[in-house]
Amino acid sequence: MFRIALKGILGRKARLVLTSLAVILGTAFLSGTSVFSATLNRTFDNLFSDVFKNVDAYVRSSQVIEADFGQEERQRIPVSLVDTIKAVPGVSDAAPDIQAFARIIGSDGKPIGADGNGPPTFGGIYTKFKGALWTIQEGKAPLSGTEVAIDEASAKKGKLTVGSTVKIVAQTGSREFTLVGIASYGDVRSPGGATFALFDPTTAQEFLAKPGFVDDILITGDGSLSDTALAAAVTKALPTEIKAETLTGAEITKETQDQIGSALSFFGILLGVFSYIALGVGCFVIYNVFSISAAQRQRENALLRAIGASKKQISRAMLIEATVIGIFGSLVGLVAGIGLSKALSALLRALSIDIPSGGLVVTTSAIQQTLIVGLLVTLASAWFPARRAGRVPPLAAMRETAVEQIASSKKRTVGGLLTVGAGVAVVAAVTTGADTKWLGIGILLVFIGTIVLGPVIARPVALFLGRPAARFRGVTGSMARQNSARNPKRTARTASPVLIGVALVTAVTALAASIKGQIDDVFTQQFKGDYAVSTNNRGFGGLSPSLALDISKLPQVDKATGIGLVTAKLDDKGQYITTISPDSINGVWNIGLVDAKYSDLSASNIFVSQKKAESKGLTEGSVMNITFADGTTRPLTVSGIYEHNEIGDYIISKSLIADTTVVNFDIGVYIVTKPGSDGATVRATLENAVKKYGQGELLSKRQYIDKQSGNVNQLLGLIYGLLFLSVIIAIVGIIITLLLSVFERQRELGLLRAVGMTRSQVRTTVRWESVITSLLGAVLGIVLGIGLGWVIVFALRDQGLSSFSLPVGSTIFIVFASFVVGVLAAIYPAWRATKVDILSALNTN
Amino acid sequence: MSALGLNLNADTLLSMTSPSLAVAASTHNAKKIYGKDDSVVYALNDVSVDFYSGQFTAIMGPSGSGKSTLMHCIAGLDELTEGSAIIDGIDLSVMNDKALTELRREKIGFIFQSFNLVPTLTADENIRLPLLLGNKKGNEEWIQRVINTVHLQDRLSHRPSELSGGQQQRVAVARALASEPRIIFADEPTGNLDSTTGGEILSFMRMAVDELKQTIVMVTHDPVAASYADRIVFLADGKVAGEMLEPTAEKVLDRMKSLGN
Repeated sequence: MFRIALKGILGRKARLVLTSLAVILGTAFLSGTSVFSATLNRTFDNLFSDVFKNVDAYVRSSQVIEADFGQEERQRIPVSLVDTIKAVPGVSDAAPDIQAFARIIGSDGKPIGADGNGPPTFGGIYTKFKGALWTIQEGKAPLSGTEVAIDEASAKKGKLTVGSTVKIVAQTGSREFTLVGIASYGDVRSPGGATFALFDPTTAQEFLAKPGFVDDILITGDGSLSDTALAAAVTKALPTEIKAETLTGAEITKETQDQIGSALSFFGILLGVFSYIALGVGCFVIYNVFSISAAQRQRENALLRAIGASKKQISRAMLIEATVIGIFGSLVGLVAGIGLSKALSALLRALSIDIPSGGLVVTTSAIQQTLIVGLLVTLASAWFPARRAGRVPPLAAMRETAVEQIASSKKRTVGGLLTVGAGVAVVAAVTTGADTKWLGIGILLVFIGTIVLGPVIARPVALFLGRPAARFRGVTGSMARQNSARNPKRTARTASPVLIGVALVTAVTALAASIKGQIDDVFTQQFKGDYAVSTNNRGFGGLSPSLALDISKLPQVDKATGIGLVTAKLDDKGQYITTISPDSINGVWNIGLVDAKYSDLSASNIFVSQKKAESKGLTEGSVMNITFADGTTRPLTVSGIYEHNEIGDYIISKSLIADTTVVNFDIGVYIVTKPGSDGATVRATLENAVKKYGQGELLSKRQYIDKQSGNVNQLLGLIYGLLFLSVIIAIVGIIITLLLSVFERQRELGLLRAVGMTRSQVRTTVRWESVITSLLGAVLGIVLGIGLGWVIVFALRDQGLSSFSLPVGSTIFIVFASFVVGVLAAIYPAWRATKVDILSALNTN
Repeated sequence: MSALGLNLNADTLLSMTSPSLAVAASTHNAKKIYGKDDSVVYALNDVSVDFYSGQFTAIMGPSGSGKSTLMHCIAGLDELTEGSAIIDGIDLSVMNDKALTELRREKIGFIFQSFNLVPTLTADENIRLPLLLGNKKGNEEWIQRVINTVHLQDRLSHRPSELSGGQQQRVAVARALASEPRIIFADEPTGNLDSTTGGEILSFMRMAVDELKQTIVMVTHDPVAASYADRIVFLADGKVAGEMLEPTAEKVLDRMKSLGN
């Protein structure tokens, strides 16, 4: 009797652990992502409050053009203002500051820092100044046009030492300097992973920006005035004809932090969305565990009912258990989440998105959110199983084994079909003209309907999928097949998380494939050249405009043309405007000009894409007023409309901005080689030309087109990583269900072992059941995912996505992966199944 | 195996009363000890017994006498602490789990008291289960004969939940016979059945011995069930407490009373 009692407690303990595990995983991702976001925010906040620690006031140009994603292009101010400001009473010192693009080339010839996506690579000024951020640790300060100081981390990474020659690339081109100093930033080796090259003020202006101009001026007060009064005094002293503004140290700190904050908030929302998807998937697992454990305790509950417990008491007992599990699971999940946030940093680093490391920030709101959501989700998931447990008839105490009732499957079939039907109808309505915003509702209905239908379709589909197993694996396969179909509700609930995960992965993959297919088509059609020099540095730095000129002079090159981007204000909104050289672009890029030639683009003209022309009612001859970053507004006459807007919606000639202070980098140089020239020689010659600038990458046409898909791949990688959370929960869900099933089937397993089933056959049976369950989720998920992907592509047709590509290879891979998932998930449960003691299994009554 | 012939105690002498029969299974000085030091319990205390081919033997004894333990140990479901258990000349104590499993599958048939069948398999699949697990076809003619003997011809495609208790036990009997095992062990095969259905099952087992020339060892505490056997081995306190040939229910009842049941 004691043994049986002990066994009961142990059995329940295992169940307790398994149920908690589901809660732990769900909440861990929630707390993990919020801790991660908070930590990231705090790290950047701290970084920027350090930057302006000793700055009391800050002067910059008030001319700015703001574009999407927090990008802005601000004008520069004359360096002569420094002397004006120094003379203001209350000012102790003032120093010019430049934050421009500069990339340090390491001793191995490779640029330091990630191209495009990583932390910025800065060039700046080194001056002796109280508010200065940099101190020279080794060597001396750069004083002449041939000297440079760099940050400690870059020196280490690039294997550069004081005295060595270092090549640096900036807007004006590349130049070699003597490394005279290694600087550190407070006590940090490199702030936020950014790289810095520091020059004396004159060299910095001339090499990084424009002689006589700087980005801003840093001011320290003598203590006689408050920061606000100091800023006011400085503003008063500034000549009125110069459009500049003064901020206090606190203001510029806050502005910078807010800018970073809003850039990070997008990331935080993305993480939040995926952690809630993971939590939703976790709900299925929690619900499933409670349902199974209610079924397994049916006899116990029936006995309680028989001796006088009320329905309410039974349900309440289970809800109390759920509360305990919910609180316990959420607490552990909170702690596990903190560990997970570190894993997230590692994931991002693996995707070469480097983030500064800092202490973890666990906010009270993260704790509250995790505990409350965790508890609510657990209670909600336990609600129906608890009610069902209360409804168990006392007679069930006499029944042999745990049976989960299959609720009137007719009602379920009808309800499920109606929901799916309604969803499909909504989607169909949208594709034939209804508002796109209904799509989400349609998709949701299809998903809900499919999950409602799950138990109805689980049996036939599982039996179908199990056919090969039964065929090639003999009686073990056939038993696995039957086992996966014997409790369709349970199988469906176990497969649902897999279904959701796979559907999302498939949809995202299909979307990415469609985008890539589109990119491929478009670039093949439009880019007529043989080679391209490309850079990832959009918006901050890029290729020197002289690179295109250098290349076009090479004997093997027929044509080379550079395409750039500038930010300008149009209809009060910051916009990217593409800059081209009309005389060299012809025959390299085909943008589908309608009744116009490239030569129609003079310095007072603009080309507009057909899409924008239609939406804004522009025709050839219309005049547009565009404000450039130097503050000038120019009336430009539309002299051409073009079809393909992949390189931008507005195109101007480079000659228009040639003599202004507007920053103009090329984002790409496109090359047509002379016919008959030898491929290898051409490539080598071009490589050489590009190498001189230390910036940009030479790509063949094919490579260039593939690279356009690269960004899609990176985003895809990130989304896969985040969906991986849900996939893990789905796998754990399979493990838990299998374990509970093994528990439940102890007698059966004992019998099978007695009549001659070997341990390896036991494992095979459990493994195939797992594989069939996993495949069930995967197959349905793929079907839904392809549908979902198609719908999303359709919804994006206005964004220029015109054709849907089915990712055949990836789909096959997903099926294969879910097979592997099934095998992996079965390892532990299968092992447990082989450990069933034959005698005690046969003796339990 | 040196024990054979050397250990001429009373039990061995008694077993030699049917010298013409071959031994299908036997134990020699079998001991099964639970616990340690002060709380040692002898479930089997020096049991040496032979079971003969072509005979229906019943093992009887009061509860706690060790009869089920004895059966489990000879059938390779449990291990002896000391001594040996031999089936078809093979000493079970030297076999690993896999070999024991294969031995059970190929040389032994089992009939348990309840939960004999795999719920997801049909009656036919349940009958062939040991063969299927061993990836063997079996002797089809024999299997058909077994199925006919237990009258299951028209129930073959049913699942256990669609069969009555008696039918389920008949399937179990047929499964035990299907692989033409060297010996069949039955553990209270009628314990969960009413007396009519139980009698039917016992008749089938009797028939299996008489007509199909099988060897059956049955553990029971029911004198009526035991009366179907050719020979009864009595167990008390983990020791052999005598045996009886050509038993009747009354004789068995008297003997059991004397054993203190």
